[in-house]
Amino acid sequence: MPPTAANIPIRQGPHAQPDRTNGSAKLAVRLRGVTKTFGEGRTAVHALKDIALDVPEGELVMLVGPSGCGKTTLVSIISGVLDADTGQAEVFGIDWRQLRPDERAKRRQELVGFVFQQFNLIPTLTVVENVSVPLLIGGMKEKQAQERSAAALESVGLADRLSAFPNQLSGGMQQRVAIARAVVGTPRLIVCDEPTASLDAKRGQDVMEIIRGASNSSTSNTSDHRRCVIVVTHDSRIFHYADRIVEMDDGRLKDHVSKHILDEAQHVPKYEDDPAK
Amino acid sequence: MNLIALRMLMRDRGKYIALIAGLAFATLLLAQQGSIFLGLLIRATGPLQNVAQPDLWITDPFTTYVLEYRPMSDRELQRVRAVPGIAWAEPFFSSRAPVELPDGSFKTAQIIGIPRSTLIGQPPVITQGRIEDLRAPDAVFVDESSRSRLANVQIGQTLKLNDRRAVVVGFCQVKLGFESNAVLYTTYDNAVRFTPVGRESIPFILAKANQGQNIEQLAARVTERTGLGAFTPDQMRGRTIGFILSETGIGINFGITVLLGFVVGLAVVTAIFYQFTLENLRYFAVLKAMGTRSKTLVRMVLLQAVVVGFIGFGIGIGAVGGFSLLGRKPGAELTPYFPWQLLVLAFFAILLCIFMGSLLSLRKVIRLEPAIVFK
Repeated sequence: MPPTAANIPIRQGPHAQPDRTNGSAKLAVRLRGVTKTFGEGRTAVHALKDIALDVPEGELVMLVGPSGCGKTTLVSIISGVLDADTGQAEVFGIDWRQLRPDERAKRRQELVGFVFQQFNLIPTLTVVENVSVPLLIGGMKEKQAQERSAAALESVGLADRLSAFPNQLSGGMQQRVAIARAVVGTPRLIVCDEPTASLDAKRGQDVMEIIRGASNSSTSNTSDHRRCVIVVTHDSRIFHYADRIVEMDDGRLKDHVSKHILDEAQHVPKYEDDPAK
Repeated sequence: MNLIALRMLMRDRGKYIALIAGLAFATLLLAQQGSIFLGLLIRATGPLQNVAQPDLWITDPFTTYVLEYRPMSDRELQRVRAVPGIAWAEPFFSSRAPVELPDGSFKTAQIIGIPRSTLIGQPPVITQGRIEDLRAPDAVFVDESSRSRLANVQIGQTLKLNDRRAVVVGFCQVKLGFESNAVLYTTYDNAVRFTPVGRESIPFILAKANQGQNIEQLAARVTERTGLGAFTPDQMRGRTIGFILSETGIGINFGITVLLGFVVGLAVVTAIFYQFTLENLRYFAVLKAMGTRSKTLVRMVLLQAVVVGFIGFGIGIGAVGGFSLLGRKPGAELTPYFPWQLLVLAFFAILLCIFMGSLLSLRKVIRLEPAIVFK
């Protein structure tokens, strides 16, 4: 039976191993002693303090915690868009800090898909052109990229909006476009930053179903690699989608997730279908 | 990625049009003012261009402009004729005189006097009448474009030149000078009568070198033997242009306008392009986060700059072409001159404009931290 919102047990803690992989999965993300400080002297802000975290392939991990606790900084480092000050940040065995900028950009293009809170769709590109961007960055021809993008958009239910511009879509639709853009290049790691924060509850659930589906799928027909998904969120209504919840506070990962978060994760909200979604 | 860059640029219609309009305007200012400036300089040499035959213009060594000279005596003419290597030497008169019109008003005309016997220095194109008729008493040829200034005179009509009778015997077509005065051709003797001068009455001596004679050497010989200045037509044109540049405010004024065109273009392009880049910075960061290399982003920004540059330049040059066509009408006051060198210069000025304008944007894009996508 495929994992659904209702039947996934929530594990907790930075090193907890997921049941879904039977403990045999390779590590997608491995962090050891990661620190990050912004600013200097008395104005310095220690955003991350000695972070250690393992995330196996195929796992959907939610990073939760109060605002300013370092969640976004942590996913920025995991996804290779920000350097840690100290420690090791490895994704699929690659230490970002060992790569030159161009090599790092290439690896990001191959390995990481992004979903942002504000969608970050380019307003002057159509939906299908937006989704094609990661493929074009990878060097694919325009026509082929658009064909693959159209298929990705079909998988998120937007086959009929290929030529629309982002401002012609609802927030939920825009986030689905962003998800299509994140998965179209078959990345092995998807990083989502507050993917449901701009959406109402029902649309948030729809988006999470799609993200959940992406985490369950292989990265390609010929590969048995399973996607790892890391979701930064405040939204307790989507906690139940997580394979594992990792809680942060004041730049550190907590050993145990707070009880109220676990309680919220056990609660699966029900929403009526919205014909206008 | 080039396609993405172009779509980002062209589908942001407002800024795209503003950028092109700014560059087109800058191009127009640069090239059109430049072409009018060059046109004025060329126009100033018009009286010299009308005289095709001589190898040398001989005059006072300090003469720099065709209407500003120190006259020479007949004796100087004979001395020039005596210089070895001179095939012939003829006087050439050029001066201003008031022409009285039938309604009592007057216009200033430029009187060109050419030798009655040889007619050397005659107008390049005769449109009505025969040049030989100039030998008739009090005869004058009138430049076609000057007719309207002279109450549309006809052949056979009489003009009053400095209170002396002048009879129109034909019309010609000549290049006007820096000043837009009417141009009249007459014989040298008539010209001296129309515009009273002192004992020394020859402004210029036109001279032809013997076959095979080195012109530069001949000019040096004339100067050595007579103490006069002997200039080739090119040198004479150069002196005229030098006079306009140094003795009038035209060079500075046009230079300021051209500089303003460059500054306005630079300011407009920098401001709009920087604003355009700033507004797209988040999307550039997204592209960078998704794996676009910095040099690809730089290429995208430069491509956007070059595309608006080319289109703006093309539109601006098209507008300049329109102005140039206006100036091609015979006798038109606007006389733009648009050599290919000016086109190349304007192109590089606009290129410089867009590269300087995009520098700020490039700096921003190169320093862009992809991590801002999470903010």
